[in-house]
Amino acid sequence: MKNHWLETVLKDLHQEAFHWSRQCCGFDEDEAKDVLQLVYLKILEGKAVYSEKSLIKTWLFAVIRYTASEERKKKLDNTPLDQINDLAYKEDEPEGPDFPESMMLQLPDRQKEVLLLVFYHSMTVEKAAEIMEVSIGTARTHYDRGKKKLKDLIEKTRIEK
Amino acid sequence: MMTEHDKELQTFFHQMKEKNGKIQVPDFPELTKKSSLNWWIPMGIAASLALGFWFVSEKEPESGLQHDVIIITLEEDANNEMQFKIESTTELESWESSTSSLLTEFQQK
Repeated sequence: MKNHWLETVLKDLHQEAFHWSRQCCGFDEDEAKDVLQLVYLKILEGKAVYSEKSLIKTWLFAVIRYTASEERKKKLDNTPLDQINDLAYKEDEPEGPDFPESMMLQLPDRQKEVLLLVFYHSMTVEKAAEIMEVSIGTARTHYDRGKKKLKDLIEKTRIEK
Repeated sequence: MMTEHDKELQTFFHQMKEKNGKIQVPDFPELTKKSSLNWWIPMGIAASLALGFWFVSEKEPESGLQHDVIIITLEEDANNEMQFKIESTTELESWESSTSSLLTEFQQK
């Protein structure tokens, strides 16, 4: 009964979950698909259990964020040292000045995450803090700094135009 | 929490959402399908065990006589004369000792 309910809710949240997974994977679609598969597998196997302490969306987003960071760490551990610098350079390189995602990639991870959760996924800073596993105070600091930095980047792009 | 200054950011993220709308989201995987597959494991074990038991019971050796047995008995006929009765068989369901008559005759006497 609970599994069926969980499946229905996950189905409803699937689209949003995919976009969040993509955002956690540096906007890489293939990596996002793999991470989401792993998340569903974790839920199915009972490795990730919803304890009903938070909203299901908050819980799901936290599992996705954790799994994505786990996978990225694994990937980095398996990358030879001489390729790590190339990877970092590739990620920071914007594809085009107007492309919003490349602008987001210029923000530090925590700032990027809190802004995406609040503005893109319409969550409160409190919920974002829960997903990011930080205190509300820390989340607010990242939120304020991120907003300022993103505004500066938008302004800079406008001037360059 | 949102201020007037955040409107610029809202527009920025709105544009991002619009762009993301063109991305094809993969289909939601069938979660229950995988769990039904797990039934094959206990079913497979049960089938293997049943097959194993069948083979074991099938191979049980039959208890038969290795050679033909000749049974020689001494019986008294109608004229009170002793006669040999010779029989040959491959099965021996009941066997009576040839000297058992001595025991019964001795008791009668």
